[in-house]
Amino acid sequence: MNDQPNNGGQDGRVVPYLALFWTFFRIGLLTLGGGLAMATVMRHELVLQRGWINDDDFMSEMSLATLVPGAIAVNVAYLQGRRLRGKVGAATAVFGTVLPAFSMILLVAWVALPYLSNLWVAAFLRGCAIAVSGQLAFASFIFGRRYLLNWQSAVVCAVGLVIVAGLQWHPVAAVLATGGLGYLLCKPDRPTDPLQGPD
Amino acid sequence: MGTALQLFISFFLIGFGAYGGGLVTIPLIQHEIVVNQQWLTFEQMASLLAIAQMTPGPIAVNTATFVGFQINGVLGAAIATLAVILPAILILIWLAPFVDRISHNLYVLKIRKGIQLGVLSLILYATWSYSAIAIEGWLDLLLGITAFAVLVAFEGKLHPIFVILACGVVGLLFF
Repeated sequence: MNDQPNNGGQDGRVVPYLALFWTFFRIGLLTLGGGLAMATVMRHELVLQRGWINDDDFMSEMSLATLVPGAIAVNVAYLQGRRLRGKVGAATAVFGTVLPAFSMILLVAWVALPYLSNLWVAAFLRGCAIAVSGQLAFASFIFGRRYLLNWQSAVVCAVGLVIVAGLQWHPVAAVLATGGLGYLLCKPDRPTDPLQGPD
Repeated sequence: MGTALQLFISFFLIGFGAYGGGLVTIPLIQHEIVVNQQWLTFEQMASLLAIAQMTPGPIAVNTATFVGFQINGVLGAAIATLAVILPAILILIWLAPFVDRISHNLYVLKIRKGIQLGVLSLILYATWSYSAIAIEGWLDLLLGITAFAVLVAFEGKLHPIFVILACGVVGLLFF
């Protein structure tokens, strides 16, 4: 179907590199905190506003983007850039997505770092840090409710916990081991629910 | 050069394990950056995670840029940022030609199911290992539980950044 980049949008027009860069720069800029929240932003930009891709192909891209590790926005940028303008397009889109995050953090590191030890700023950030605890507990709750459906899934999750909490191995080892175990034990979901992936 | 290489390796590992991005990177960052390499203290990491959620872009990318800059300046920031997105890009270069077939492949979906559960175990562990250090007293615990309760109550209707900012204001008033 879309095995080869077709060098253009849906209507066959060639998308300029600059438009590709600018679109993904906007996506990168608009997605605070990252995660699947940006799926809505990307669908709006790519499917609805620009018509670069239809909903079905977007869903395929989203599911592949959530199948591989890493930030979903970056992965979609790669796939979409490649679809529109080949390898150079992929590099352009990825660069555009990462640039806002990169420059903003450099700015923070340059300008704001001395203020982080200020008493008020420190108190504010300490409050924020505790919110992250709440977020982690919330993510555990959501993922647990969604994925712990039968004894097989409980076993796989327990093995992951033993590796990372019990043995204190590298978390990457837990991801690899549970992937293998999932292959042996798990029944897959229906294939068409990319938006139900981890966020 | 040694630090630049280590920077690359550490963030390559984080990028490889950050399945789904977002909060899943926290246990990886804590393990690799705070415990293994000791490039940040826990407090610095906690501040960085808060800042990362208030600035554009994925937490993993933000952390890479920040830590890279601290260790090796702008060059370090570039190396770490590249390293953290590289695993995904390499896998996609390999898989992208089969995008339509792969997302419906039974074996791939089974592996994915397992990885999702692995990610759950990482998040569960991170909830414990992060909170065990971040939460220092009854007031902290109360605030953390309130944040959790608000997120559950307004599930999907409230951007997490509001909870973070609100907790920051509480911190400003009480800490």
